[in-house]
Amino acid sequence: MTDAGPNLIPLIIVTLALASFIVAGLRARARSASDYGIGGRYIGRIGGGAAIASNWMSAASLLGMGGLLYLHGYYALAYVIGWTGGYVLLLVLMAGQIRRFGKYTAPDFVGDRYASPMAGLISAGISITISIIYCTAQFKGIGMLFGWLFGTGYRNGVILGAVVVVGYVIISGVLGVARNQQLQYTLLIVSFILPLMVLAYKLGYFWVLPQFGYGVAIQDLKREFGINFAAPFASGSLFQWISLCFTLMVGTAGLPHVLSRFYVVPNIRDARWSLVWGLFFIALIYWSAPAYAVFARLLEARAGMTLPPAAAEKMADLIVIRTAVMGGLPPWMIGILAAGAVSAAFFTVAGLLITGASSFSHDIYYRFINPRASETTKMALSKAAVVALAVVVLVIAMDPPGLIAEITAVAFALAGNTIFPAFLLGIWWGRANRHGVIAGMLTGVVITFSTPLFGRFLPVVADIFPLTSSAFFGAPAVIAVMVAVSLLTPPPPEEVRRFLAEQVHGHMD
Amino acid sequence: MEHDREWYDVNIFRPRKGYMTGEVVIILFVLLGWAVANFGVQAILWLLSETPQGEGILTRLTFLSFPWHFWFTAQFLPLWFIILCILFNIYIDRHTEQHSRRKDRSHD
Repeated sequence: MTDAGPNLIPLIIVTLALASFIVAGLRARARSASDYGIGGRYIGRIGGGAAIASNWMSAASLLGMGGLLYLHGYYALAYVIGWTGGYVLLLVLMAGQIRRFGKYTAPDFVGDRYASPMAGLISAGISITISIIYCTAQFKGIGMLFGWLFGTGYRNGVILGAVVVVGYVIISGVLGVARNQQLQYTLLIVSFILPLMVLAYKLGYFWVLPQFGYGVAIQDLKREFGINFAAPFASGSLFQWISLCFTLMVGTAGLPHVLSRFYVVPNIRDARWSLVWGLFFIALIYWSAPAYAVFARLLEARAGMTLPPAAAEKMADLIVIRTAVMGGLPPWMIGILAAGAVSAAFFTVAGLLITGASSFSHDIYYRFINPRASETTKMALSKAAVVALAVVVLVIAMDPPGLIAEITAVAFALAGNTIFPAFLLGIWWGRANRHGVIAGMLTGVVITFSTPLFGRFLPVVADIFPLTSSAFFGAPAVIAVMVAVSLLTPPPPEEVRRFLAEQVHGHMD
Repeated sequence: MEHDREWYDVNIFRPRKGYMTGEVVIILFVLLGWAVANFGVQAILWLLSETPQGEGILTRLTFLSFPWHFWFTAQFLPLWFIILCILFNIYIDRHTEQHSRRKDRSHD
């Protein structure tokens, strides 16, 4: 499929889609120059929900999830559940309280709540690491898509893609193009669901709501070809399923770029309700992804070309596109699907690179290295950091360490083991102090990477803290460390505790 | 002084009387609904499995042509999470209004 030469029509459509975002951004900017905040001007609860969803959608959602479902069937539903259920935790435990606290980046919150610049620095380092891991997964998606679009191999694709995406970030930065998240979300949802409807129609299944009509296809797969897509524990045990699911959930609630979404709406009530809309829009995509995987299996089986596991794994991350090709969809429709996936990856990369770079220039350089740095210096440093981060990500992505969704899951595990406990105790336990949070976050980092670090000497580590699922035992362990260390050391400053009691929790008593 | 110290004491397991107590009760109910549907049903699926791959009564039943367990996990659970979020917001909105009537509407 990748050797078939360039796919011209999809390539043109992808180019047009990216260009249209720049044009639309510039027009919106001309209309209202000053209204854009962190993620866009205020657009109501539904608009806020679309912004949350488009901020969330990445190559992992549009490509990676379909790929894992295709490979592992029911087991991969842990991703669907983890990435939706995490929003429940976020809403009930954190959303309102972080907003009242008034700090919207992880380093700012941790630094202020624990009255410790050092804790802030550590969480800045962790945030940047999360950005790098997350970006690596996006680069893999971009590389595979560009390889396919230009009819070249993965490595050329990822280099080409990296140049284009960095160029895109720089052009957007220079022109001051704000991200039009409603337009973006509309493209994503249409580009993902429209081809699915056509596929369902062509295959003879209920096509009006293809998300809910592929049940018969699962039955057909089993009856006609003996492929049991729905076997619950065929690809992993109950423990593996639950620990993966739990890790993705606490990771969702601790992911820095998700936490900062509560600041684009004017009040807490709207922030909470736009999260519900956001979750609904996210679910629309996540209800659809398994259908692609089932149709892919069915089309392959019907064509009598079931791939051997190694080849299937290599192919999996492009399975959504591949299904559309196998299903005989017209090239323009495949182009729209590719445009959706490319935009999801591009916007995620843009957001992460900019956040990571500003975290470096503000939280690390300005606060610790040169507090007298001018705005110009900070700006220049930030731009250099975008390029530097992109180079680091490119080097890792040249030889990607796993599937898109698996790489992404590691970023979630890191967030769940470090930022989530820091926020949870920071909000709900006034006694948590800086010694506790520093010890906890460092423990969390070690736990996250314990399998590659110690797994060879201590196989049991790989069982307890699997790389993609370490937060199931990891997050409680970090919380225990934070509690123990905090109780053994003096309480946090009185003004922090008073602020927490009066402003964050006691606002009405 | 001792009274002041207690007033500062924020602890989810010992919520202060008034707004926070009600808030924590709502949070605990939502978390219960989240955990039981999510982990409880997977555990039941495992308990009822008859083969190493996990097939059993719940995988043979069908709903909307889906094997029941697949429908539950892939379709119903994301919907259930949305329902939980809606319930949480409704109850918190109501709770906040009850407690803010005494003063201003600063909760927004």
